[in-house]
Amino acid sequence: MHEAKLCLRLLAVADVHRVRAGADRITALRLEVGDLSGVSPEALARAFPICAAGSAADGALLRIEHAAGRDLRLADMEVI
Amino acid sequence: MCGICGCGEPPSPRHTHTHEHESRRVAVEESLLAENDRSARALAASLRARGIDAIGLVGGPGAGKTTLLEATLARLGEPGADAVVEGDCASDLDAARMRRAGARVTQVETGSLCHLDAHLVGHALDALDLTAVRRLWIENVGNLVCPAAFACGEARRVVLISSAEGDDKPEKYPAILAGADLLVLSKSDLIPHVDFDVTRCLERAHQVAPGLPALVLSARTGEGMAAWLSWVHDGPAAAQVT
Repeated sequence: MHEAKLCLRLLAVADVHRVRAGADRITALRLEVGDLSGVSPEALARAFPICAAGSAADGALLRIEHAAGRDLRLADMEVI
Repeated sequence: MCGICGCGEPPSPRHTHTHEHESRRVAVEESLLAENDRSARALAASLRARGIDAIGLVGGPGAGKTTLLEATLARLGEPGADAVVEGDCASDLDAARMRRAGARVTQVETGSLCHLDAHLVGHALDALDLTAVRRLWIENVGNLVCPAAFACGEARRVVLISSAEGDDKPEKYPAILAGADLLVLSKSDLIPHVDFDVTRCLERAHQVAPGLPALVLSARTGEGMAAWLSWVHDGPAAAQVT
């Protein structure tokens, strides 16, 4: 399974948007997981806090929502 | 650590604590797969521009990807026309088989990574002399789950399901079929010995991917290989829904 790799990608994408927003930390992320994405939401949820440790998203709340289709999409996030 | 949000509190089946921060919302709407999709499109375009037809093979371990490729190269009989990128977690066993079959080959050992992606394939091609090559075969890591999300620069993707795996695979692994251009039901010579119902398998596949062309074949006996070679030569139009 490659959920840890996807978590690192999620964190990289999120961090670009955090910097763009001029924020210090990411406190929450909302991720849409397509039912045909081949991604396990449970494995993502488990990998996320480990991958996020020490990053600007350390301790952030990951909300995972199911969606139709094949995509895996960072919908929005909360920053401070 | 709380497995739901990573907040550092002990795990609890009920996520009762709140997360009150003075935070603001940032709209992102960005696909996490977009970067690979972009790389895959660029790779596919560069191969097309060089006149190379790139065909991806995906399927579970033991579905018969390498054996089909060996039989295909032997029947095509066009020395120097085929190159292969072999993806496996470990070993270069498949690369050695391809080399014996007369193809130029590079092996990608992915380690613990469960799939190839466009980036890995792009770098693998640095090690291949593609002069006079007309077909590039990209054999993915044996896996019916993870390769679904990662295009590898192929122009067409073939999903193999062998009769020994069972006719319920399309229902269990729908994502892999949703991105396929051809379904190959392999090891047809074993069908009399295993409970595999071709009609039922195709019905299930078409619920996920309506109109997906399919071929039933055996690389060992040669059944169905002529139709397969037509598809390889001529593209999707050559494959009939069996």
